[in-house]
This record gives sequence, structure tokens and C-alpha cells, in this order.
Amino acid sequence: MLHKEIKQNWFFKQAPKIVWDYLTKPELIEQWLGKSDFKPVVGHKFSFISSCGNDSICEVLEVKPFTKLVYSWQKNSATDGKPFTSKIMWTLIAKDNGTELQLVHNGFITIEDVTAHEAGWNHCHKQFEELLKTN
Amino acid sequence: MMQSQTLDAFQVVADPSRRAMLHMLSKESLSINSLAENFEMSRPAVSKHIKILSMAGFITIEDVGRERHCTLKQDGFNELQKWIDYYDTFWHSKLSKLQSILNNKTKKQKKHGK
Repeated sequence: MLHKEIKQNWFFKQAPKIVWDYLTKPELIEQWLGKSDFKPVVGHKFSFISSCGNDSICEVLEVKPFTKLVYSWQKNSATDGKPFTSKIMWTLIAKDNGTELQLVHNGFITIEDVTAHEAGWNHCHKQFEELLKTN
Repeated sequence: MMQSQTLDAFQVVADPSRRAMLHMLSKESLSINSLAENFEMSRPAVSKHIKILSMAGFITIEDVGRERHCTLKQDGFNELQKWIDYYDTFWHSKLSKLQSILNNKTKKQKKHGK
């Protein structure tokens, strides 16, 4: 059936501390991912402000400085307003004078989750395509 | 308004009743009648949902005696899979942006003798 998990491995030439900053400092997160009021504090609730008006409501679940960061990622379904949650997990590993960054995005357990996520992103579809073109 | 070719898999499962139907069918194949028993809606309304699910490739309908049996089909779900792949691309795009930001930063630092 469905692959329910997104997994990516990236290598950066920078030390884990620098990569960590880009995952945890709002002014740096904004440069590549989006505007947010993130704080690396377990239990902190924050959001990613979407230019399409479909903000993501998140909560910090785990913080191990320079090593691991986990937060929930919640959106309200555009169709029935029912919230759903997925989970984003960042793992940093010092390697070859740089950093291996692992991303796992899962929690798309039910069809509902998959659907709701898509409904939100539908609005962003065009902007996203533009972004892909510019990169 | 509804053409079989243009039915979007996500629009199809955006409806809570249709999602509930798919969940029931993921456990076992059911006749339209036994499916309908679980919903507080008219039989024609159930039939309409079933028709949409079938047109979008989520189920097949088979006549078994007097009953019409619904079974899950892969095609519709493949469409949903495409969407997960789409999200995969989203992260890929964001992270490659991060990579280029960090690389530019390193270059600048080297320039400034740091």
C-alpha cells in the first residue's frame, strides 16, 4: 500500500552546530523553510506562517542540541476543518568534517492524514511550482 | 461537472463519508447494501458515493448474485502516493536551498579570511 514515510539524507560541509542553527533560529529557518516563531524548547507551540493562509501548527517534542530535533506538524483539513498531525524528525550526525542531516517526515497513518495534508498544499501548489522553478 | 477522466483522487477522498467507506472496505469487501447500513444517508446517496469511488479507481464493483460487491482497487491509492512523492520533492527543494545558503556562507567567510 502507501509509503507512509518520507526519509531524506543530506550532507553539509558545515559542522553540526551551524546546521543546527539553521534548524532552530527563526531568522535562519526563514531563509530556507519559512517564517515561524520556533524556539528549541520541548512543549513550545509555534507555527509556520504560510503565504497561502494555511499555517502549520507545530509543537516541539524533542530537543537534543546539535543532534536531534522533533516537532509535530499539524494542519487543518481545508475540507472538514478536522486537524491532523504528522511528525518531522531531524537528526544530525558529525561526519567527514561536516554534517549528515537526516529528515524523517511521517505520521501519515491514515488516508485522512494524507488527504488533509494534500488539501492544504493544494492552495500552495502554484507557489510551490514557482519555487521549484527558481531553485 | 463530474467527468471520469478529471476526477481528482484527493477530491474523491476529501469527503469524510467516502473516506469512511474506504476504511470499511480496507477490512473486507462489502455489498453496497451492507455498506449503506453504516451510514445515515439515503441509499441513492450511498450509491452516488460508490460510483465516484469506482470512477476514481479506488474500488471495483462486481455483481455477485443479486448483490453488488465493492472491493478496494490500487489505482486510486497510487494517485495518493504521487502526492506523498510530491511532498518528498518539497523537502528536497527546501533542503537544497539550505545547502546552497550554507555553501555561499562558507565561501564568503573564506573570502574574508575566516
